[in-house]
Amino acid sequence: MNDCPNADIRDQLPDLLHERLDVSMRAAVMAHVDACVDCRAELELLRSVHEMLVSRTPRVDINYVVNALPKRAAQPVRVAPRHRAWSDWRIAAAVTVLAVGGGSFALLRHGATPATADSAFVSTITPSLGNNAADSSAPRQPSANPNPSEARHVSQPAPANTVASADDQPGLATSARLADLNERELKALLNEIDQLQAVPITEPEPVTIRVNSGRSSPEGL
Amino acid sequence: MSNPVRGGGGDDQRDLDLIARWKAGDERAATELVERHSAALARFAVSSGERSDVDELVQDTFVRAFNSLDGFRGESSFRTWLFTIERRLLLDRRRSEKRRRDRTEIQEGDSATEYDALDSVVADETQRRLRAAVERLSPTQREVFALRVAEGLSYKEIAEAVGTTEGAARVHYHNAMRAVKEFLDE
Repeated sequence: MNDCPNADIRDQLPDLLHERLDVSMRAAVMAHVDACVDCRAELELLRSVHEMLVSRTPRVDINYVVNALPKRAAQPVRVAPRHRAWSDWRIAAAVTVLAVGGGSFALLRHGATPATADSAFVSTITPSLGNNAADSSAPRQPSANPNPSEARHVSQPAPANTVASADDQPGLATSARLADLNERELKALLNEIDQLQAVPITEPEPVTIRVNSGRSSPEGL
Repeated sequence: MSNPVRGGGGDDQRDLDLIARWKAGDERAATELVERHSAALARFAVSSGERSDVDELVQDTFVRAFNSLDGFRGESSFRTWLFTIERRLLLDRRRSEKRRRDRTEIQEGDSATEYDALDSVVADETQRRLRAAVERLSPTQREVFALRVAEGLSYKEIAEAVGTTEGAARVHYHNAMRAVKEFLDE
């Protein structure tokens, strides 16, 4: 069996066998094959080899192959539990934060710590109010200043606020609202505030609180 | 020069569509992909000298392909990519079973195998001689020859599948064809 000297045509013979040539190329190759004994013999050989290889190939069990393939649809299902676990963790964290935050808020609102601080401050300034406090504990008089907004203005600074907050502590001498103090009492209070030392003494004075019929009056020893 | 019509045009697009469907969870797409390419993979395996466990080799090829399908970028046809994977598996098998395969190749000319027994019934003398001629090719020549003759791949596709150049693939093919002719002329 000889080789045709036209290597280009010989290169196309397998493509001709598998019908992978376009129309013009197929026509040219077919024309050459019709006129060339060697190419005709080679094309016949290719056809025989192709048939031999196909006939020797066992049939593949499609199901055997397919059953071993990875299941693509299973992947999102595997991701889902992880996502749910993450959500559970977030929910647990949110509940914890709400519980701790809510508890802290309740403690701040009803607990004794802020009131104690307020009362300590109040007890520091009230001894000098002695007489005035006694007056204020008397039946309350209408405020000399009928405008409550002015009193509220006075109560804006922190100490005044502290005094006002003492309203929630019924046992303290300063339990009266600022708006309930008369003008003289307010002036006395302001004078006492002016005389307060900017830097508090390191050793607090001892304070005793007496409780009499639901009211208390601090008294320095 | 060569102007082949790659039968792949529509076929390649069909493969890409099936791959997309499988990625979306359509298991039937996987079945269709196996149906489309399993016979070619089996032919390549047998042509390359694999005589036993062809089903298993084809299965391993598809399993490996589907496991790394996200890495398939469509630069070559899906079938060419499958041939590449199958060839690597074949090389792995040859390495691990080299001693046993050597013994088999020595005996194959004299003893009847499973396929020999079947062929002896249905094949004529010409087919038997053709098979012997192909089996005497070097492994690379046999791969190139099978991909060119049995599958009709272009030299470019063969080069991708066997990891060589187009020119080398062409040389391997023509050397294989010459060797087959010489064997048949003896």
